[in-house]
Amino acid sequence: MLSRSVVRAGLKGMISATPASAIFRPAVALQARSTSTNNTTATTHAQGDEILRAQRLKRPISPHLSIYQPQLTWYMSSFTRITGVALSGALYAYFAAYAASPLLGLHLESSAVAASFATLPFAGKFAIKLGAALPFAYHSWNGVRHLIWDMGKELSLKGVYRTGYAVLGLTVVTSVGLALM
Amino acid sequence: MASAFKTCVPRLVARSSPASLSGITASAARSFVRPSPIQTRVAAFHASKNLNILPVGPQVIQGTVNDAAPVPPPNPTHGSFHWDFERLVAIGLIPLTIAPFAAGSVHPVMDAVLGASLVIHSHIGFQACVIDYFPKRQYGTLRKAATWALNGATLLVLYGLYEYETNDVGITEGIKRVWTA
Repeated sequence: MLSRSVVRAGLKGMISATPASAIFRPAVALQARSTSTNNTTATTHAQGDEILRAQRLKRPISPHLSIYQPQLTWYMSSFTRITGVALSGALYAYFAAYAASPLLGLHLESSAVAASFATLPFAGKFAIKLGAALPFAYHSWNGVRHLIWDMGKELSLKGVYRTGYAVLGLTVVTSVGLALM
Repeated sequence: MASAFKTCVPRLVARSSPASLSGITASAARSFVRPSPIQTRVAAFHASKNLNILPVGPQVIQGTVNDAAPVPPPNPTHGSFHWDFERLVAIGLIPLTIAPFAAGSVHPVMDAVLGASLVIHSHIGFQACVIDYFPKRQYGTLRKAATWALNGATLLVLYGLYEYETNDVGITEGIKRVWTA
């Protein structure tokens, strides 16, 4: 700050001393700049934090997912978590409800669930079974893929894609097979 | 910084041409005499559109910008032991999942082990989600609430599983009943 001001003051003196015709163009801009006030205010640490917080709130947050090119790698990674949360969520929902069923008066015994499931038409049964089998098969096969990686194998780009396509193929075959059981 | 600038003013005034002198001194004096309230000047960092999925979280500043990132104390139960345990459960789930398909039915104890392993696997998975999506620094209270809600849910689910294993037919037999209904 100090050096900048000194330079500015020095330039100013030079400009005023030389005839106007001899100076390069930015003379006007320089003059205008030097007249603007540069306010500096002493702030406490807390006030500084407040300014920083306000500044940070205006920052763009970490890039939106859609800016990335869809790639097998991160799409499969995301779906592993999504299917895992869906499967575990179903497990938790059922057994929590089963634990609370006497209080809530619900009938979630296997016989009752099976009886209500039996009333559905074939298409309905197939759709529900496929809806359950697809995340189960995907998460299971990709879990095996992760365990292969944990052993230090198939960690090349080629290996990642090869195992990725294998998981997708196995998922389709297994889930359709399970849904038809 | 303000005092550093102030020392330059006489030089600036002395070297300025008489025409611009009054303007500079007047504005400079004004800014020093009457301190303006703290202003937050926010610069636009990016010209691209902001695509926020969620509103920006609270900005929590701990320490100063010059502090090094804290290194958590090394703890094997949060590191390698946890990782090994995670893998052990995941590896154990492979035979436990295949066994009912291969044998047609499983011993009730095996079924209970499968159920418990699934709950532990799910609990670890949900824990990872809580840690990822509720950063402690920004959402400390929410993180605590989510962690305890998950612990409570897991206990309730384990109770439900116990009830299901002792009073009902067990997981593999239950799924088979519904699947073939």
